[in-house]
Amino acid sequence: MSGHAHAQGDGPEVYFQYEDIDQQQESYVVGMWAFLMTEVMFFGALFLIYTLYRWKFHDTFFFAHEQLNWKMGGLNTAVLLFSSVMVAFAVHFAQKGKKTAQLICLGMTLMCAFGFLVIKTFEYGAKGDHKLYPNYTFEYGAHDKDHKVESWWDDNLPAFMHIEKKEQHGDPKNAKLFYSIYFTMTGLHGLHVVIGIIAITSLMVLIMIKSPLITDYVPTELVGLYWHFVDLVWIFLYPLFYLIPR
Amino acid sequence: MAGHDHSELTKGGAHPHHVLPQGMIFLIAGGLFAGMAATIGAAFMIPEPLHSNTFFMQSLALAIAIFKACLVVYFYMGVKFGTRLVKIFAYGGFIWFFTLFIMMADYVSRPLEPVPGWETVPSSALPRNTVEDPE
Repeated sequence: MSGHAHAQGDGPEVYFQYEDIDQQQESYVVGMWAFLMTEVMFFGALFLIYTLYRWKFHDTFFFAHEQLNWKMGGLNTAVLLFSSVMVAFAVHFAQKGKKTAQLICLGMTLMCAFGFLVIKTFEYGAKGDHKLYPNYTFEYGAHDKDHKVESWWDDNLPAFMHIEKKEQHGDPKNAKLFYSIYFTMTGLHGLHVVIGIIAITSLMVLIMIKSPLITDYVPTELVGLYWHFVDLVWIFLYPLFYLIPR
Repeated sequence: MAGHDHSELTKGGAHPHHVLPQGMIFLIAGGLFAGMAATIGAAFMIPEPLHSNTFFMQSLALAIAIFKACLVVYFYMGVKFGTRLVKIFAYGGFIWFFTLFIMMADYVSRPLEPVPGWETVPSSALPRNTVEDPE
């Protein structure tokens, strides 16, 4: 391949299919964005499923979400936001050619990623203790069916604006649906965190061994784009699962 | 591009690409953490009767989430400083995401059908085998 490429000064090689280095680098970034858009479509369908069932079974979802630990979710949000900031700095230092600072930032991101998974493991463990895995062990008895949600708005808004309430709250079948969606979405997000860990670790190793694959800041930017997307998904998952309003 | 007014160049300067200044990274980080605090604060500190208004509370939480997402996409992911091709891909995906939700119109409008359907099973968002046939 190198036979068909030419280098511009001491920068990265420009391969034969590109006119210049700008076009080459743009194609890398566009390719990553194209991949991220497939990810948006992937998670988009799941968010649609969530929206539909949340709309149909609002009360049950409200009661079921009270079993989730919003403090742990909030801690995870903070951890992911901090990791996103670290990735932004890693890209910044990569563009400036400061490898040590770049590696430190990537290392911090990696620690945040592991921290996120550790917190998530505690959360999932607690759900198992409370028999909230949506399988044959599922037992939803914490909230009895007679408990009704009363609010000022129930009496003061026209009937057609009421979300379906008071009939299906606390229904174990629908609560199981909530936990199915919760574990699917947060689990798939967790899987993306794991993939991010692999990507960041690989990038750090390649930088440390001074691999010829890393000739400029673009690989760091691409990994950064992926990690920001992981953060982006959690930004929506947190309020939608942990902070459901009445 | 207006965003390049305060931009720096990558090392070497032969191929100028926007470098997000450190001050800007800190500023965006502040906005993200403030957004997170606002999300949690709104969930617990907004007084009645607004607090029990599901639509208002959910809209507020999503508005804050969208604000945070815009900060990440626009600045950290570099869409603001990206080429037009990058912007087309980035915006196209998110526009598709919102277009997807047009599908909700089907479920929302089902009770408004002027005549009953030919199926004996009432319309439901549940899987079919969980809905009991009335006959």
